[in-house]
Amino acid sequence: MHRRGGLAAFDRQEQSKRSFAVLSTQLSQSQVDHLHAQLNQFRTALAHFATTHRDSIRKDPAFRHAFQQMCSSIGVDPLAGPRKGGWWAEMLGLGDWQYELGVQIVDVCVSTRERNGGLIEMEDLLRLVTKLRGVSGGEVTADDIVRSIKTLQPLGVGYQVVTLADGRRMVRSVVKELDEDQAVVLAIAQQEGGRIVEDILISRKGWTRGRARAALENMLLRDGLCWLDEQDEECGKAYWVTSAMKWDV
Amino acid sequence: MTFSTFTTPTGFLLPSVHSAPPFFTQQPHPDSNATVTEQWTTLFLTYARHRKLFVLRVEDAETTDSEWVEVLRNERINRKLLPSYLSAIIATMVSKNVATYDPPGQNRSVLLYWRLPEEWAEVLHGWAISTGQLNTILTFYEITDPPIPSPLSNIPITLLRKAIAVLAKTGRSQLISIADGEGVRLFQGTGK
Repeated sequence: MHRRGGLAAFDRQEQSKRSFAVLSTQLSQSQVDHLHAQLNQFRTALAHFATTHRDSIRKDPAFRHAFQQMCSSIGVDPLAGPRKGGWWAEMLGLGDWQYELGVQIVDVCVSTRERNGGLIEMEDLLRLVTKLRGVSGGEVTADDIVRSIKTLQPLGVGYQVVTLADGRRMVRSVVKELDEDQAVVLAIAQQEGGRIVEDILISRKGWTRGRARAALENMLLRDGLCWLDEQDEECGKAYWVTSAMKWDV
Repeated sequence: MTFSTFTTPTGFLLPSVHSAPPFFTQQPHPDSNATVTEQWTTLFLTYARHRKLFVLRVEDAETTDSEWVEVLRNERINRKLLPSYLSAIIATMVSKNVATYDPPGQNRSVLLYWRLPEEWAEVLHGWAISTGQLNTILTFYEITDPPIPSPLSNIPITLLRKAIAVLAKTGRSQLISIADGEGVRLFQGTGK
C-alpha cells in the first residue's frame, strides 16, 4: 500500500483497521469453536469413563485417589461444574458422597467435642466415621477425610487438619489457634496416653519451667483442651489432653 | 493406657470416665467443668437408682464407710472426689432440679430425684391400685415400710409428701390427720 499525505490516507487506514478486526474476530471465533468441540469431546470421554467406572470410583479408595489425582493434574475440579453439585457429581454421585462424608465428619467432631475439646486424632475420627457408616458404606481413607474437610471450608466453620511434629494428623473442629508449643505438647501427650506435666516438657524438650507452664495453662484455661488433675501422685498437678486419652467404649 | 468401665462389688457398672484421674478434680475451664459435672450428675443418679439411695451428703466424700464409697473413690487409681468439688456438683444438681436441699436452708445434704416427684406420684398411685389400697387411710409408715417390699420402701417422708401433693392436684389424694400423725387416702381419680 502506497502511503500518501492528505485526508484520504486517514480513511484508508481506518478502513484497513476495520478489515483486520473482522478477520481477527473470525479467526478467534473458529479457534474458540474448535476448542469447544475439543472440550466437548473430552468431556464426553471423561463422562463416559466416569460412568463406566462409577462403582469402582465410589467403592475403591485407591482407584478414587488415582481418579482425583488425574482430575487435579489436568485442572478439573470434580466438585465444580455448571450444574448444581457439579456435573461430576451427577456423573459419579461423588459430590454427594463427599458431602455426605463431610456431614458424618461434622457429626463425629461435634458429638466428641465435649470429651476432646474439639480436637480429634485422624485415626480416631476415621474409626468413628467408619462405625457411623456401617459395613455397607465402603472403605474411607484419611485422604477422603482431608478432601471432605476442604469441601466444608466455604461454610467457615473452622474445620482444619493439623499435622503434628511426629507426622500424626489431627482434625480441629473449633476455631482456635494452635501454636507451635501446643503442637509439641499434643504430640507428647499422645505418647503418654494423655497425661502431661511440666517436668516432662522440661526434661524432654529442654523448655524452661515458665514456657512449659504457659503452654499448659493456655491449653487448660484458654482453650479447654486439657483436664486438670490435682491429685497426681508424682507432681501433684497434672494436665490431661482429652483428645489424647483413649476410651474403651 | 486405655480407660475402661468397671463393675463394682455391688454390681454397678462404672463408666470408663471414672477410671480417668482428672475426673476427680474440679475443672477450671467452664466448658470442661460443665462436661465433667454433667457426667458426675448422671453417675450419681444412676448409682442412687441402682442402690435405692435417696440422700447424698458432702460428708460422704470425707469418710470411707459411706454408702457412696464405690463412686466417690477409685482406689485402683488412688483418686477421690474432694468435698469442695462434691459440694459444687450438688449445687449444680439442685439448680437443674435433679436434687433438692433437704432439709431446706443448708447446702450440705440433698435429696436426689432419680425419679421426679411427679414420677413418684405415679409410682405411689400405681402401687395403691395394685395392692388394693385405694380409698382406705394409709399411714406414712405403711407406705415407707410395707410388709411386702415395694418400690416405695424407705422413700423419705419429704419426697413422699411431694408425691402426695402432686396427686392432690388431680384429686387423687387427700391428707388426713390421724391419732399418731398423718395419713393419706388415695382415690382412683377421674383421669389425669
